[in-house]
Amino acid sequence: MLFSATMAVASETPASFRSSAIRPRPFTLIRLGFGELLSRRRLIRYLVRADLKRAGSDTLLGNIWWVIDPLLQMLVYVVLVSVIFARPQKDYALFVFCAVLPWKWFNSALTDGIASVVGMERLIKQIAFPKLVLPVASVFAGIVNFFFGLIPLAALMVLFYPSHITKWLVLIPVIAAVQLLLTLPLTIVLGAINVFFRDVGNLSRHLLRLWFYVSPSIYAIDLLQHAAAKYPVLGVFIFANPWTTLFTSYRDVIYEGRAPDWMGLGALSLVSLGLLAIAILIFKRLEPTFAKVL
Amino acid sequence: MASSNNGRTSERVAINVSDLGVQYNLKLTRKNTVRHSVTRRMKFEGTESKFWALRDVSFKVVHGESLGVIGPNGAGKSTLLQVLAGIITPSAGVVEVDGHVSSLLTLGAGFDGDLSGRDNIRLAGAFLGLAHSMVEERLPDMVDFADLGEFIDAPIKTYSAGMKARLGFAIATSVEPDILLLDEVLATGDAAFREKSKARILELVQDAKAIVLVTHDMEWVTDYCNKAMLLEKGHIVAVGSPADVVAVHQEHSAERKAERVAAGVMPLEPAAARSSGPVPR
Repeated sequence: MLFSATMAVASETPASFRSSAIRPRPFTLIRLGFGELLSRRRLIRYLVRADLKRAGSDTLLGNIWWVIDPLLQMLVYVVLVSVIFARPQKDYALFVFCAVLPWKWFNSALTDGIASVVGMERLIKQIAFPKLVLPVASVFAGIVNFFFGLIPLAALMVLFYPSHITKWLVLIPVIAAVQLLLTLPLTIVLGAINVFFRDVGNLSRHLLRLWFYVSPSIYAIDLLQHAAAKYPVLGVFIFANPWTTLFTSYRDVIYEGRAPDWMGLGALSLVSLGLLAIAILIFKRLEPTFAKVL
Repeated sequence: MASSNNGRTSERVAINVSDLGVQYNLKLTRKNTVRHSVTRRMKFEGTESKFWALRDVSFKVVHGESLGVIGPNGAGKSTLLQVLAGIITPSAGVVEVDGHVSSLLTLGAGFDGDLSGRDNIRLAGAFLGLAHSMVEERLPDMVDFADLGEFIDAPIKTYSAGMKARLGFAIATSVEPDILLLDEVLATGDAAFREKSKARILELVQDAKAIVLVTHDMEWVTDYCNKAMLLEKGHIVAVGSPADVVAVHQEHSAERKAERVAAGVMPLEPAAARSSGPVPR
């Protein structure tokens, strides 16, 4: 019995289990899900690290791309909007960078997260582990990317836009935390649904691009509101779109140098927390069938 | 044929399976897109889409017992192991497992091509739910056993198939479990490594408190198991002493063979046809 006791200590999973056809109640499932994420922190960390290593391993410049990539994307929009459309905002490069940086994280988290469960097919059939760690790891891998993106942002501000540097910059992590709360439930739910319908992956790429352009991303919000006068649906969307709040808030603290929309961020956090609970519930409900379906 | 442990109720039960059923829904199993699911629904192909890989399966394994599970292809043997490992949840019934389970279903699982062999051991350990301290403590042993030389620090996408198998085996057998699940794992690597791995499995078999082994190798069952169970089409056909159960199995296989011969042309036996169910192309 001594042996069994040491094993229980040495392992992060329970030493015995009971598995039956009776599914736990919703509240239990949600609690289980959060518990798994907490107890498997190290696995999530390893997965994130593996993800980052993979991202840097196949290219000549490796992880330097994390710094260059947002800059290049910014340049594309600068050329597009200020040269072709010829009506840029003041200091447009910084203006658009405020949108490029967080969106890259959101975009990669969702894209990778949706594929994450399906991508671990072999493992899911061979080992019992909480599948919830997979989409969550994708989201966290994106955070690292995001923080690397702050390097070119800092360079940009110091070199070209020193007048935009204000105390409000310290709030970037707060807004990023709200973004994290929003990204988690979306990634978790779509990652689970993609197991059953692989269309989710294809569709999401286009929906994400559309989402970016109907948000105040590369243009100011008044331009959108202008268009909304003609298409009322767009007006509703602008109001309900979490990225209206997020883009505006990032822009407030980085570009405008003023307080973000606290009310909006607060409301978004609350809604996202609710969504997270629902997302975990849906994921945990579908999880038992993953090994059979894949 | 009664279970051999019926009289020994005082012993500790390691695995208790009662009325276990596992149902597969083939509608979901095919590589799915919305289009497929819509067209299938329109063609009313839904009727035959569910089948039981295991049905009404009840048995116990007490501590110290080693159960060999045999049966023709598609009898549900591997599904049974997956349920015991906690990978699949039952569609009916209850499975209780008392003790830490390790399944050697996991050879080569958890490999990430861009990570080194060493990092893959850590990753696999985290997937298996092993504590960090334990993984670090056993890392040297695993590295030794895999015998990869300097390759242990190279990305495993540079490994040969044999090297990967060795690493996988080293990881999978590094855990000393209370309950060991084995699924036909002996056929990896070259002859020398096979010897080494067989010895390691025998070690684990001696240390484990209970073993469930799925195999087609009848000698293994009669040599290393003290109880055997014959599964056919998801049902338990016989349980008892290995020699008896193996005899029943061989009798049934001979009958099936005779039927096939009698049927003549390229007969696909029904059990085998259904067996390909869980993972159809």
